[in-house]
Amino acid sequence: MAHEGDFHSLLQRSSVAGIVPLQLEEREGRLNENIEVHGTTVIAVKYDRGVINIGDRRATANMTVMYDRAEKVLALDDYTLLAISGSYARAMEVVRYLRHSFKYFERSQLQPMSLDGKLSELARVIAQGLPLAMQGIGGFIPILSTYDIQSNEGRIFFYDGMGARFESAEYGAAGSGSQPIRGIFDYIVKIKKPFHQMNREEALREALLLLGIAADLDTATGGYYVVPPLAKTITAEGITDVGEDELRELIASLPGRN
Amino acid sequence: MIYSPYDWNEAIGHRKEYIETRLREGSPVIAISYQDGVLMVTIRRAQRKVFEIYDRIMFSGIGNQADIETLRISSIDFAHQEGFNRSPDDVSVHRLVGFSLSPPLKKAFGDQFTAPFVVRAIFAEMGRRKEEDSLYVLNYDGEFTEATSFAVVGGTLNAEDQMALSLIGVNSDIERDQAISRAFKAWSTGVLAVRKSGSQDHEESEIVNTENDEELNRVLEQELKTGVVEAAVLERSTLRESKFRHLTEKELEPILSAYRSGT
Repeated sequence: MAHEGDFHSLLQRSSVAGIVPLQLEEREGRLNENIEVHGTTVIAVKYDRGVINIGDRRATANMTVMYDRAEKVLALDDYTLLAISGSYARAMEVVRYLRHSFKYFERSQLQPMSLDGKLSELARVIAQGLPLAMQGIGGFIPILSTYDIQSNEGRIFFYDGMGARFESAEYGAAGSGSQPIRGIFDYIVKIKKPFHQMNREEALREALLLLGIAADLDTATGGYYVVPPLAKTITAEGITDVGEDELRELIASLPGRN
Repeated sequence: MIYSPYDWNEAIGHRKEYIETRLREGSPVIAISYQDGVLMVTIRRAQRKVFEIYDRIMFSGIGNQADIETLRISSIDFAHQEGFNRSPDDVSVHRLVGFSLSPPLKKAFGDQFTAPFVVRAIFAEMGRRKEEDSLYVLNYDGEFTEATSFAVVGGTLNAEDQMALSLIGVNSDIERDQAISRAFKAWSTGVLAVRKSGSQDHEESEIVNTENDEELNRVLEQELKTGVVEAAVLERSTLRESKFRHLTEKELEPILSAYRSGT
Protein backbone atom coordinates (compact mmCIF):
# COMPACT_ATOMS: atom_id res chain seq x y z
CA MET A 1 0.00 0.00 0.00
CA ALA A 2 1.53 3.25 -1.09
CA HIS A 3 1.74 6.00 1.45
CA GLU A 4 1.37 9.48 0.08
CA GLY A 5 2.05 11.45 3.21
CA ASP A 6 -1.19 13.35 2.91
CA PHE A 7 -2.34 14.52 6.32
CA HIS A 8 -5.71 15.51 4.92
CA SER A 9 -6.53 11.93 3.98
CA LEU A 10 -5.17 10.62 7.27
CA LEU A 11 -7.74 12.76 9.08
CA GLN A 12 -10.46 11.57 6.73
CA ARG A 13 -9.50 7.92 7.22
CA SER A 14 -9.64 8.30 10.96
CA SER A 15 -12.90 10.24 10.61
CA VAL A 16 -12.04 12.71 13.31
CA ALA A 17 -13.61 16.10 13.35
CA GLY A 18 -10.76 18.32 12.33
CA ILE A 19 -10.29 21.12 9.96
CA VAL A 20 -11.22 19.07 6.95
CA PRO A 21 -14.69 17.64 7.36
CA LEU A 22 -16.33 21.01 7.52
CA GLN A 23 -19.36 19.66 5.68
CA LEU A 24 -21.61 22.56 4.99
CA GLU A 25 -25.15 22.58 3.89
CA GLU A 26 -26.51 25.21 1.64
CA ARG A 27 -28.25 27.65 3.90
CA GLU A 28 -31.01 30.07 3.26
CA GLY A 29 -30.33 33.63 4.10
CA ARG A 30 -28.39 36.65 3.12
CA LEU A 31 -24.78 36.16 2.32
CA ASN A 32 -22.37 38.43 4.03
CA GLU A 33 -21.19 40.64 1.25
CA ASN A 34 -18.06 41.66 3.01
CA ILE A 35 -15.96 38.52 3.29
CA GLU A 36 -12.86 40.35 4.27
CA VAL A 37 -13.96 41.42 7.69
CA HIS A 38 -10.76 41.40 9.63
CA GLY A 39 -9.43 43.94 11.99
CA THR A 40 -5.69 43.83 11.99
CA THR A 41 -2.57 44.74 10.03
CA VAL A 42 0.13 42.28 9.12
CA ILE A 43 3.03 43.25 6.88
CA ALA A 44 5.70 41.24 5.09
CA VAL A 45 8.62 43.00 3.41
CA LYS A 46 11.73 41.61 1.79
CA TYR A 47 15.19 42.72 2.80
CA ASP A 48 18.67 41.85 1.61
CA ARG A 49 18.91 38.64 3.59
CA GLY A 50 15.33 37.38 3.49
CA VAL A 51 11.91 38.47 4.65
CA ILE A 52 10.62 40.42 7.67
CA ASN A 53 7.12 39.77 9.01
CA ILE A 54 5.49 42.17 11.41
CA GLY A 55 2.04 42.25 12.94
CA ASP A 56 0.20 44.29 15.54
CA ARG A 57 -1.05 42.45 18.61
CA ARG A 58 -4.65 43.61 18.81
CA ALA A 59 -7.54 41.17 18.53
CA THR A 60 -10.95 42.75 18.11
CA ALA A 61 -14.57 41.64 18.17
CA ASN A 62 -16.80 44.27 16.60
CA MET A 63 -16.01 47.44 18.50
CA THR A 64 -14.32 45.72 21.40
CA VAL A 65 -10.62 45.13 21.87
CA MET A 66 -10.57 41.50 22.98
CA TYR A 67 -6.91 40.93 23.55
CA ASP A 68 -3.71 42.91 23.35
CA ARG A 69 -1.20 40.16 22.89
CA ALA A 70 -2.46 38.17 19.95
CA GLU A 71 0.24 36.53 17.86
CA LYS A 72 -0.48 36.94 14.19
CA VAL A 73 2.87 35.93 12.76
CA LEU A 74 3.30 32.21 13.15
CA ALA A 75 5.97 29.74 12.07
CA LEU A 76 4.77 26.82 9.99
CA ASP A 77 8.18 25.22 9.77
CA ASP A 78 11.85 26.22 9.89
CA TYR A 79 11.59 28.47 6.83
CA THR A 80 7.94 29.42 6.50
CA LEU A 81 5.97 32.15 8.26
CA LEU A 82 2.26 32.74 8.04
CA ALA A 83 0.96 36.22 8.87
CA ILE A 84 -2.76 36.06 9.43
CA SER A 85 -5.66 38.47 9.24
CA GLY A 86 -9.33 37.77 9.67
CA SER A 87 -10.97 35.14 11.82
CA TYR A 88 -8.45 34.35 14.51
CA ALA A 89 -10.07 31.06 15.51
CA ARG A 90 -10.09 29.69 11.99
CA ALA A 91 -6.59 30.98 11.29
CA MET A 92 -5.15 29.30 14.38
CA GLU A 93 -6.83 26.06 13.36
CA VAL A 94 -5.38 26.37 9.87
CA VAL A 95 -1.91 27.03 11.28
CA ARG A 96 -2.17 23.94 13.47
CA TYR A 97 -3.35 21.94 10.48
CA LEU A 98 -0.60 23.17 8.17
CA ARG A 99 2.14 22.57 10.71
CA HIS A 100 1.01 18.99 11.01
CA SER A 101 0.45 18.61 7.32
CA PHE A 102 3.92 19.83 6.31
CA LYS A 103 5.67 17.79 8.95
CA TYR A 104 3.55 14.73 8.33
CA PHE A 105 4.62 14.79 4.71
CA GLU A 106 8.27 15.35 5.51
CA ARG A 107 8.46 12.72 8.23
CA SER A 108 6.59 10.03 6.34
CA GLN A 109 8.03 10.68 2.88
CA LEU A 110 11.55 11.50 4.11
CA GLN A 111 11.75 14.64 2.01
CA PRO A 112 10.45 18.12 2.77
CA MET A 113 7.27 19.23 1.06
CA SER A 114 8.12 21.48 -1.87
CA LEU A 115 7.35 25.18 -1.69
CA ASP A 116 4.73 24.73 -4.37
CA GLY A 117 3.19 21.86 -2.42
CA LYS A 118 2.95 24.04 0.68
CA LEU A 119 1.39 26.90 -1.24
CA SER A 120 -1.23 24.60 -2.75
CA GLU A 121 -2.00 23.08 0.62
CA LEU A 122 -2.71 26.55 2.01
CA ALA A 123 -4.87 27.40 -1.03
CA ARG A 124 -6.83 24.20 -0.48
CA VAL A 125 -7.56 25.07 3.15
CA ILE A 126 -8.65 28.60 2.29
CA ALA A 127 -10.94 27.30 -0.46
CA GLN A 128 -12.47 24.79 1.95
CA GLY A 129 -13.38 27.56 4.35
CA LEU A 130 -14.99 29.63 1.62
CA PRO A 131 -18.64 28.48 2.04
CA LEU A 132 -18.52 29.45 5.71
CA ALA A 133 -16.62 32.64 4.98
CA MET A 134 -19.40 33.60 2.56
CA GLN A 135 -21.75 33.50 5.51
CA GLY A 136 -19.44 35.72 7.45
CA ILE A 137 -17.83 33.02 9.58
CA GLY A 138 -14.19 32.19 9.70
CA GLY A 139 -12.91 34.08 6.68
CA PHE A 140 -9.24 34.79 6.84
CA ILE A 141 -6.54 36.08 4.51
CA PRO A 142 -2.95 35.03 5.08
CA ILE A 143 0.43 36.11 3.75
CA LEU A 144 2.94 33.34 3.42
CA SER A 145 6.63 34.24 3.56
CA THR A 146 9.40 31.80 3.06
CA TYR A 147 13.07 31.51 2.37
CA ASP A 148 13.57 29.61 -0.86
CA ILE A 149 16.67 27.51 -0.34
CA GLN A 150 16.76 26.54 -4.02
CA SER A 151 17.01 30.10 -5.30
CA ASN A 152 18.54 31.60 -2.13
CA GLU A 153 16.04 34.40 -1.67
CA GLY A 154 13.10 35.40 0.44
CA ARG A 155 9.69 35.08 -1.19
CA ILE A 156 6.28 36.49 -0.31
CA PHE A 157 2.91 35.11 -1.38
CA PHE A 158 -0.52 36.51 -0.70
CA TYR A 159 -3.96 35.00 -1.20
CA ASP A 160 -7.48 36.13 -1.87
CA GLY A 161 -10.55 34.78 -0.08
CA MET A 162 -11.03 31.97 -2.59
CA GLY A 163 -7.52 30.62 -2.30
CA ALA A 164 -5.94 32.19 -5.36
CA ARG A 165 -2.26 32.73 -4.81
CA PHE A 166 -0.09 35.62 -5.98
CA GLU A 167 3.59 36.19 -5.58
CA SER A 168 4.74 39.63 -4.61
CA ALA A 169 8.07 41.06 -5.64
CA GLU A 170 8.66 43.35 -2.66
CA TYR A 171 6.01 43.29 0.03
CA GLY A 172 2.64 41.99 1.17
CA ALA A 173 0.06 43.30 3.61
CA ALA A 174 -3.29 42.06 4.85
CA GLY A 175 -5.98 43.13 7.28
CA SER A 176 -8.22 46.15 7.62
CA GLY A 177 -5.26 48.40 8.28
CA SER A 178 -3.53 47.31 5.09
CA GLN A 179 -5.94 49.17 2.80
CA PRO A 180 -5.11 52.75 3.86
CA ILE A 181 -1.36 52.12 3.64
CA ARG A 182 -1.25 50.30 0.31
CA GLY A 183 0.08 53.22 -1.66
CA ILE A 184 2.85 53.94 0.81
CA PHE A 185 4.61 50.69 -0.06
CA ASP A 186 4.82 51.75 -3.70
CA TYR A 187 5.98 55.20 -2.69
CA ILE A 188 8.81 53.76 -0.60
CA VAL A 189 9.89 51.39 -3.36
CA LYS A 190 9.93 54.15 -5.96
CA ILE A 191 11.31 57.01 -3.91
CA LYS A 192 13.66 55.38 -1.42
CA LYS A 193 14.67 51.95 -2.69
CA PRO A 194 13.22 48.51 -3.21
CA PHE A 195 12.76 46.62 0.03
CA HIS A 196 14.96 43.73 -1.10
CA GLN A 197 17.92 46.11 -1.28
CA MET A 198 17.47 47.39 2.25
CA ASN A 199 19.39 45.97 5.16
CA ARG A 200 17.62 44.51 8.13
CA GLU A 201 17.39 47.72 10.14
CA GLU A 202 16.20 49.84 7.23
CA ALA A 203 13.50 47.36 6.27
CA LEU A 204 12.43 46.93 9.88
CA ARG A 205 12.13 50.71 10.31
CA GLU A 206 9.98 51.04 7.21
CA ALA A 207 7.77 48.17 8.28
CA LEU A 208 7.31 49.67 11.75
CA LEU A 209 6.52 53.06 10.30
CA LEU A 210 3.94 51.51 7.98
CA LEU A 211 2.37 49.65 10.87
CA GLY A 212 2.23 52.86 12.88
CA ILE A 213 0.43 54.69 10.09
CA ALA A 214 -1.98 51.76 9.71
CA ALA A 215 -2.72 51.97 13.42
CA ASP A 216 -3.37 55.70 13.13
CA LEU A 217 -5.85 55.17 10.29
CA ASP A 218 -7.53 51.96 11.38
CA THR A 219 -9.15 51.46 14.78
CA ALA A 220 -8.80 47.70 14.65
CA THR A 221 -5.04 47.87 14.37
CA GLY A 222 -3.16 48.19 17.62
CA GLY A 223 -0.24 50.59 17.57
CA TYR A 224 2.99 49.97 19.32
CA TYR A 225 2.69 52.10 22.42
CA VAL A 226 1.05 49.60 24.73
CA VAL A 227 2.59 46.38 23.47
CA PRO A 228 5.37 46.23 20.86
CA PRO A 229 4.37 44.46 17.65
CA LEU A 230 5.51 40.96 16.87
CA ALA A 231 8.34 40.82 14.33
CA LYS A 232 10.13 37.82 12.90
CA THR A 233 12.72 37.38 10.16
CA ILE A 234 13.40 34.46 7.83
CA THR A 235 16.88 34.05 6.42
CA ALA A 236 18.95 31.17 5.11
CA GLU A 237 19.51 30.28 8.78
CA GLY A 238 15.83 30.00 9.54
CA ILE A 239 13.32 31.99 11.55
CA THR A 240 14.37 34.43 14.28
CA ASP A 241 12.35 36.66 16.56
CA VAL A 242 13.23 40.33 16.60
CA GLY A 243 13.81 41.15 20.24
CA GLU A 244 11.46 43.45 22.14
CA ASP A 245 14.29 45.73 23.19
CA GLU A 246 15.42 46.22 19.62
CA LEU A 247 11.85 47.01 18.58
CA ARG A 248 11.40 49.56 21.38
CA GLU A 249 14.62 51.24 20.42
CA LEU A 250 13.64 51.45 16.76
CA ILE A 251 10.16 52.69 17.62
CA ALA A 252 11.61 55.46 19.76
CA SER A 253 13.70 56.63 16.82
CA LEU A 254 10.86 56.74 14.28
CA PRO A 255 10.03 60.16 12.78
CA GLY A 256 7.05 61.99 14.17
CA ARG A 257 7.03 59.94 17.37
CA ASN A 258 8.03 61.30 20.70
CA MET B 1 -6.99 -27.35 12.91
CA ILE B 2 -6.73 -27.69 16.66
CA TYR B 3 -3.56 -27.00 18.55
CA SER B 4 -2.62 -28.79 21.70
CA PRO B 5 -0.73 -26.71 24.28
CA TYR B 6 2.36 -28.58 23.24
CA ASP B 7 1.95 -27.64 19.56
CA TRP B 8 1.37 -24.07 20.50
CA ASN B 9 4.55 -23.89 22.55
CA GLU B 10 6.45 -25.55 19.76
CA ALA B 11 5.06 -23.23 17.14
CA ILE B 12 5.84 -20.13 19.15
CA GLY B 13 9.34 -21.46 19.70
CA HIS B 14 9.81 -21.87 15.97
CA ARG B 15 8.58 -18.39 15.26
CA LYS B 16 10.90 -16.98 17.86
CA GLU B 17 13.85 -18.88 16.45
CA TYR B 18 13.02 -17.76 12.94
CA ILE B 19 12.84 -14.11 13.98
CA GLU B 20 15.94 -14.21 16.17
CA THR B 21 17.96 -15.74 13.33
CA ARG B 22 16.94 -12.94 11.03
CA LEU B 23 17.69 -10.25 13.60
CA ARG B 24 21.25 -11.48 14.22
CA GLU B 25 22.74 -9.53 11.35
CA GLY B 26 21.18 -6.26 12.39
CA SER B 27 23.54 -3.38 13.04
CA PRO B 28 23.09 -2.32 16.69
CA VAL B 29 21.52 1.02 17.57
CA ILE B 30 22.32 2.94 20.74
CA ALA B 31 20.19 5.69 22.28
CA ILE B 32 21.64 7.91 24.98
CA SER B 33 20.06 10.75 26.89
CA TYR B 34 22.75 13.43 27.15
CA GLN B 35 22.99 16.92 28.61
CA ASP B 36 21.21 18.80 25.87
CA GLY B 37 18.97 16.17 24.33
CA VAL B 38 18.76 12.63 23.13
CA LEU B 39 21.10 10.86 20.74
CA MET B 40 20.80 7.80 18.50
CA VAL B 41 23.85 6.24 16.89
CA THR B 42 24.38 3.36 14.50
CA ILE B 43 26.59 2.34 11.59
CA ARG B 44 24.68 1.37 8.51
CA ARG B 45 25.30 0.12 5.01
CA ALA B 46 22.77 1.60 2.62
CA GLN B 47 19.37 2.35 4.07
CA ARG B 48 18.82 5.21 6.43
CA LYS B 49 18.06 3.92 9.91
CA VAL B 50 17.17 6.74 12.29
CA PHE B 51 13.88 8.54 11.73
CA GLU B 52 11.91 11.41 13.16
CA ILE B 53 8.45 10.41 14.34
CA TYR B 54 7.14 13.56 15.95
CA ASP B 55 8.31 16.84 17.44
CA ARG B 56 10.12 15.13 20.31
CA ILE B 57 10.22 11.48 19.30
CA MET B 58 12.65 9.57 17.11
CA PHE B 59 12.89 5.96 16.14
CA SER B 60 15.23 3.31 14.84
CA GLY B 61 15.21 -0.45 14.62
CA ILE B 62 16.75 -3.61 13.30
CA GLY B 63 15.04 -6.32 11.30
CA ASN B 64 13.04 -6.56 8.14
CA GLN B 65 12.92 -3.33 6.17
CA ALA B 66 9.22 -3.61 5.43
CA ASP B 67 8.38 -4.28 9.08
CA ILE B 68 10.47 -1.33 10.24
CA GLU B 69 8.64 0.79 7.69
CA THR B 70 5.25 -0.41 8.91
CA LEU B 71 6.14 0.48 12.50
CA ARG B 72 7.51 3.84 11.43
CA ILE B 73 4.44 4.81 9.44
CA SER B 74 1.96 3.69 12.08
CA SER B 75 3.92 5.65 14.67
CA ILE B 76 3.85 8.77 12.51
CA ASP B 77 0.13 8.36 11.82
CA PHE B 78 -0.69 7.89 15.50
CA ALA B 79 1.47 10.80 16.65
CA HIS B 80 0.16 13.29 14.09
CA GLN B 81 -3.46 12.35 14.60
CA GLU B 82 -3.16 12.69 18.35
CA GLY B 83 -1.05 15.81 18.13
CA PHE B 84 -3.58 17.52 15.91
CA ASN B 85 -6.75 16.38 17.66
CA ARG B 86 -5.47 17.06 21.13
CA SER B 87 -2.11 18.68 21.54
CA PRO B 88 1.51 17.91 20.71
CA ASP B 89 2.00 17.75 24.48
CA ASP B 90 -0.26 14.71 24.64
CA VAL B 91 1.87 12.70 22.26
CA SER B 92 4.22 10.65 24.41
CA VAL B 93 6.41 7.70 23.60
CA HIS B 94 4.72 5.88 26.47
CA ARG B 95 1.31 6.12 24.80
CA LEU B 96 2.77 5.41 21.37
CA VAL B 97 4.63 2.24 22.29
CA GLY B 98 2.45 0.95 25.10
CA PHE B 99 -1.00 1.43 23.64
CA SER B 100 -0.61 1.89 19.92
CA LEU B 101 2.20 -0.43 18.83
CA SER B 102 2.70 -3.16 21.40
CA PRO B 103 -0.75 -4.88 21.22
CA PRO B 104 -0.75 -5.39 17.44
CA LEU B 105 2.82 -6.71 17.57
CA LYS B 106 1.83 -9.22 20.22
CA LYS B 107 -1.18 -10.21 18.18
CA ALA B 108 0.84 -10.76 15.01
CA PHE B 109 3.43 -12.74 16.93
CA GLY B 110 0.89 -15.06 18.56
CA ASP B 111 -1.28 -15.56 15.50
CA GLN B 112 -0.07 -18.62 13.62
CA PHE B 113 -1.78 -17.52 10.45
CA THR B 114 -0.09 -14.18 9.97
CA ALA B 115 3.54 -13.37 9.42
CA PRO B 116 5.18 -12.05 12.59
CA PHE B 117 7.04 -8.76 12.65
CA VAL B 118 10.78 -9.22 12.31
CA VAL B 119 11.84 -6.16 14.20
CA ARG B 120 13.38 -4.83 17.37
CA ALA B 121 12.71 -1.14 17.65
CA ILE B 122 14.03 1.65 19.78
CA PHE B 123 12.18 4.89 20.52
CA ALA B 124 13.52 8.01 22.19
CA GLU B 125 11.54 10.91 23.53
CA MET B 126 13.14 14.16 24.60
CA GLY B 127 11.53 15.71 27.65
CA ARG B 128 11.52 19.40 28.53
CA ARG B 129 14.12 18.65 31.17
CA LYS B 130 16.73 15.95 30.90
CA GLU B 131 15.17 14.04 33.79
CA GLU B 132 12.10 13.60 31.61
CA ASP B 133 13.85 11.91 28.69
CA SER B 134 12.39 8.52 27.99
CA LEU B 135 13.76 5.61 25.96
CA TYR B 136 11.79 2.53 24.92
CA VAL B 137 12.82 -0.74 23.37
CA LEU B 138 9.99 -2.62 21.70
CA ASN B 139 10.44 -6.29 20.86
CA TYR B 140 8.78 -8.29 18.07
CA ASP B 141 6.52 -10.06 20.59
CA GLY B 142 5.08 -6.79 21.90
CA GLU B 143 7.18 -6.73 25.04
CA PHE B 144 8.70 -3.35 25.79
CA THR B 145 11.07 -1.90 28.36
CA GLU B 146 11.65 1.65 29.43
CA ALA B 147 14.96 3.23 30.30
CA THR B 148 16.07 6.75 31.13
CA SER B 149 19.83 7.02 30.53
CA PHE B 150 20.52 4.68 27.65
CA ALA B 151 18.92 1.90 25.61
CA VAL B 152 20.17 -0.47 22.94
CA VAL B 153 19.00 -2.89 20.30
CA GLY B 154 21.37 -5.47 18.89
CA GLY B 155 21.51 -8.73 16.96
CA THR B 156 20.95 -11.01 19.95
CA LEU B 157 19.64 -10.54 23.47
CA ASN B 158 23.03 -11.57 24.73
CA ALA B 159 24.69 -8.88 22.62
CA GLU B 160 22.26 -6.32 24.01
CA ASP B 161 23.17 -7.32 27.57
CA GLN B 162 26.83 -6.86 26.82
CA MET B 163 26.26 -3.52 25.14
CA ALA B 164 24.34 -2.39 28.20
CA LEU B 165 27.24 -3.50 30.39
CA SER B 166 29.63 -1.40 28.33
CA LEU B 167 27.38 1.62 28.79
CA ILE B 168 27.14 1.38 32.56
CA GLY B 169 27.99 4.71 34.15
CA VAL B 170 26.49 6.76 31.33
CA ASN B 171 24.02 9.27 32.71
CA SER B 172 22.41 12.39 31.35
CA ASP B 173 25.24 14.65 32.54
CA ILE B 174 27.32 13.29 29.69
CA GLU B 175 28.17 15.64 26.81
CA ARG B 176 27.17 14.89 23.26
CA ASP B 177 30.53 13.98 21.76
CA GLN B 178 31.44 11.91 24.76
CA ALA B 179 28.11 10.11 24.43
CA ILE B 180 28.87 9.37 20.78
CA SER B 181 32.21 7.82 21.72
CA ARG B 182 30.53 5.65 24.33
CA ALA B 183 27.94 4.65 21.76
CA PHE B 184 30.67 3.59 19.31
CA LYS B 185 32.21 1.42 21.98
CA ALA B 186 28.86 -0.15 22.75
CA TRP B 187 28.24 -0.63 19.05
CA SER B 188 31.42 -2.60 18.50
CA THR B 189 30.75 -4.56 21.67
CA GLY B 190 27.41 -5.57 20.21
CA VAL B 191 28.89 -6.58 16.86
CA LEU B 192 31.67 -8.54 18.53
CA ALA B 193 29.26 -10.30 20.87
CA VAL B 194 27.22 -11.59 17.94
CA ARG B 195 30.35 -12.75 16.11
CA LYS B 196 31.68 -14.55 19.15
CA SER B 197 28.44 -16.36 19.78
CA GLY B 198 29.16 -18.35 16.61
CA SER B 199 26.36 -19.87 14.64
CA GLN B 200 24.07 -20.58 17.57
CA ASP B 201 22.92 -18.12 20.12
CA HIS B 202 23.37 -19.91 23.40
CA GLU B 203 23.83 -18.71 26.92
CA GLU B 204 27.43 -19.86 27.02
CA SER B 205 28.55 -17.48 24.29
CA GLU B 206 31.76 -15.75 25.08
CA ILE B 207 31.68 -12.49 26.99
CA VAL B 208 33.21 -9.56 25.17
CA ASN B 209 36.00 -7.97 27.14
CA THR B 210 34.94 -4.34 27.13
CA GLU B 211 38.29 -3.35 28.63
CA ASN B 212 40.01 -4.55 25.49
CA ASP B 213 39.80 -1.30 23.57
CA GLU B 214 42.18 -2.52 20.91
CA GLU B 215 39.90 -5.33 19.82
CA LEU B 216 36.85 -3.06 19.85
CA ASN B 217 38.61 -0.35 17.90
CA ARG B 218 39.67 -2.87 15.31
CA VAL B 219 36.04 -3.85 14.76
CA LEU B 220 35.07 -0.24 14.39
CA GLU B 221 37.95 0.60 12.07
CA GLN B 222 36.97 -2.29 9.84
CA GLU B 223 33.28 -1.43 9.79
CA LEU B 224 33.95 2.24 9.07
CA LYS B 225 35.59 1.27 5.79
CA THR B 226 32.31 0.06 4.35
CA GLY B 227 29.71 1.51 6.65
CA VAL B 228 28.31 4.97 7.24
CA VAL B 229 27.90 6.45 10.69
CA GLU B 230 24.41 7.69 11.28
CA ALA B 231 23.90 9.86 14.34
CA ALA B 232 20.75 11.85 14.97
CA VAL B 233 19.76 14.08 17.85
CA LEU B 234 16.74 15.72 19.37
CA GLU B 235 18.05 18.98 20.77
CA ARG B 236 16.51 20.60 23.81
CA SER B 237 17.92 24.10 23.46
CA THR B 238 17.75 24.55 19.69
CA LEU B 239 15.98 27.63 18.34
CA ARG B 240 14.91 25.77 15.22
CA GLU B 241 11.31 24.64 14.78
CA SER B 242 12.48 21.06 14.30
CA LYS B 243 14.29 19.58 17.26
CA PHE B 244 15.37 16.57 15.23
CA ARG B 245 18.40 16.56 12.97
CA HIS B 246 21.13 14.30 11.72
CA LEU B 247 24.64 15.21 12.81
CA THR B 248 26.78 16.27 9.89
CA GLU B 249 29.96 14.57 8.74
CA LYS B 250 31.85 17.63 9.90
CA GLU B 251 30.53 17.23 13.43
CA LEU B 252 31.30 13.52 13.50
CA GLU B 253 34.73 13.53 11.90
CA PRO B 254 36.70 14.70 14.97
CA ILE B 255 35.30 11.77 16.93
CA LEU B 256 35.67 9.30 14.08
CA SER B 257 39.20 10.19 13.06
CA ALA B 258 40.49 8.44 16.18
CA TYR B 259 39.20 5.15 14.81
CA ARG B 260 40.39 5.45 11.26
CA SER B 261 43.48 3.53 10.27
CA GLY B 262 46.83 5.18 10.70
CA THR B 263 46.11 6.38 14.24
